Amino acid sequence: MIEVINPAWLSMVVDGGRYGHADIGMPPSSALDRYAYTALCRLLGYAAGMPAIEVMGHDFSLKVNTDLSCAFTGARVAAFVDSVPIAPWKVFKVKAGSTVRVKEVTEGLRYYIGFSGIIVAEKVAGSFTTNLECRFGGYFGRPFMKGDRVALKDVRDAGERSIDESLIPSMKGPHVLRIIDGEEAGSFATETLKSLFETDEDPWYKVTTKTNRTGIRLEGRPLEFREGADQSIISEGILPGVVQVPGSGQPIIVLYERTIGGYARIGHVIKADRDLLAHLKPLDKVRFQRVAREEAERLWSEKTAWYDAMLRQ
Amino acid sequence: MNWTRYGEEGIRIVFGNTVSADVHEKVRRYYFFLKSLHLQEIIDVIPSFTTCIIYFNDQMTDADTLIANLQEKERALPEIAIPAPATHTIPVMYGGQYGPDMEFVCSYAGLTPDEVIEIHSGTVYTVFAVGFIPGFPYMGTLDKRLFVPRLEVPRLKVNEGSVGLAQLQTGIYSFESPGGWRIIGKTDRRLFDHGQEPYSLMKIGDQARFVPL
Repeated sequence: MIEVINPAWLSMVVDGGRYGHADIGMPPSSALDRYAYTALCRLLGYAAGMPAIEVMGHDFSLKVNTDLSCAFTGARVAAFVDSVPIAPWKVFKVKAGSTVRVKEVTEGLRYYIGFSGIIVAEKVAGSFTTNLECRFGGYFGRPFMKGDRVALKDVRDAGERSIDESLIPSMKGPHVLRIIDGEEAGSFATETLKSLFETDEDPWYKVTTKTNRTGIRLEGRPLEFREGADQSIISEGILPGVVQVPGSGQPIIVLYERTIGGYARIGHVIKADRDLLAHLKPLDKVRFQRVAREEAERLWSEKTAWYDAMLRQ
Repeated sequence: MNWTRYGEEGIRIVFGNTVSADVHEKVRRYYFFLKSLHLQEIIDVIPSFTTCIIYFNDQMTDADTLIANLQEKERALPEIAIPAPATHTIPVMYGGQYGPDMEFVCSYAGLTPDEVIEIHSGTVYTVFAVGFIPGFPYMGTLDKRLFVPRLEVPRLKVNEGSVGLAQLQTGIYSFESPGGWRIIGKTDRRLFDHGQEPYSLMKIGDQARFVPL
């Protein structure tokens, strides 16, 4: 068993996502940094699908009441077992009665914690992940609170594995998100597309505080619709990474909690850059870069090579 | 039908560009056809007013292969058995504390609350799509007299069970969530139960009628 001493800003149970029911509006609600989540599973010797804890914010701490192995991936953190510093992206051992604490997040936003035992959590439609809005899955469908006790089953020794430094992605800003054209890219004024992607004095957007697991709201120079272009579309299915532009012209990047949308789609964040979305925090600077589909595919095959190398560790 | 790529792991099939019973029927038929194939490489299908979005596993196939495969299998489409739509009766408490936008709808439409209720509950609606949040039915077509624009600034919190109007659609908030529809009433019917399949009360193509309490 583990006991949550401090849940930080937001911590919850996640996994690889809830799929197969998007036709009734059930969103994936998955771990937002999928590479980090997959690496965590690998470190602890589980197949992807194991429940893990996703945390936002520093000062997260928990106490364990049994000897076990543990690991952190995702955002770079300064973490300690009692007062001994431990390296992230590496399995470490914890003795019963010890406290694991994250003092500081030094790069990125969300980090992942896993154990050498399975977190006992509610499984809904094949997934342990928490749907916060609808309050199901994970730990009673809610974020962790101080004092929560979480059971672990099949606790074992997870060995000594670590992920090589060269396979830990950078999460340093300012961030460049590469996108391929969206369905309504043609609804925007040519000058707007140009200034967004090509030049210029200030192509930067700022991540606003109205950002959460549902979407990242950006603020910057408004994107202007072409004269006479429809500002809203007939609602239809959307996938993670879609960049929607409402009438205000301020873009919203859709994450993993929505299945249908009705705003103009200027682009799709490419798959290779999607994990970075987990690490955009309020006030971060972001800009877009338009790439061709072939380039997106090439970048994804590079990322696939990372996955392959990571999974061989 | 028009097929295009949708991001890197999606395929978008467009069946028309207007909201109509005819386009809806094509979407619905194709959606049930896709489901009947039980293809492992298709992770999710999202049918809505005019399109089906396919989310596929790009480790198992690529878009061109999948499209070719579907277009080949499509010949069987006319013979696909489509489940009969269910009909739902939704009891609604209209107006007052349950319908904070009833006043706006009345003044916008130039109708009395009783007339709004009569018109809204006098139509059998079709579920054109389910989503944005689990179990939320997008239903139409609303009587033109009840056409209202969405709120300019969406509410941060709309209560679970709220019955709303937006343009020529009506819908029910299956969960408390942010939302921009004009709320005219509330139902106690539970639209989504994560503990029991089928999780959603309504699916695409179902029919629903509102009954004033």
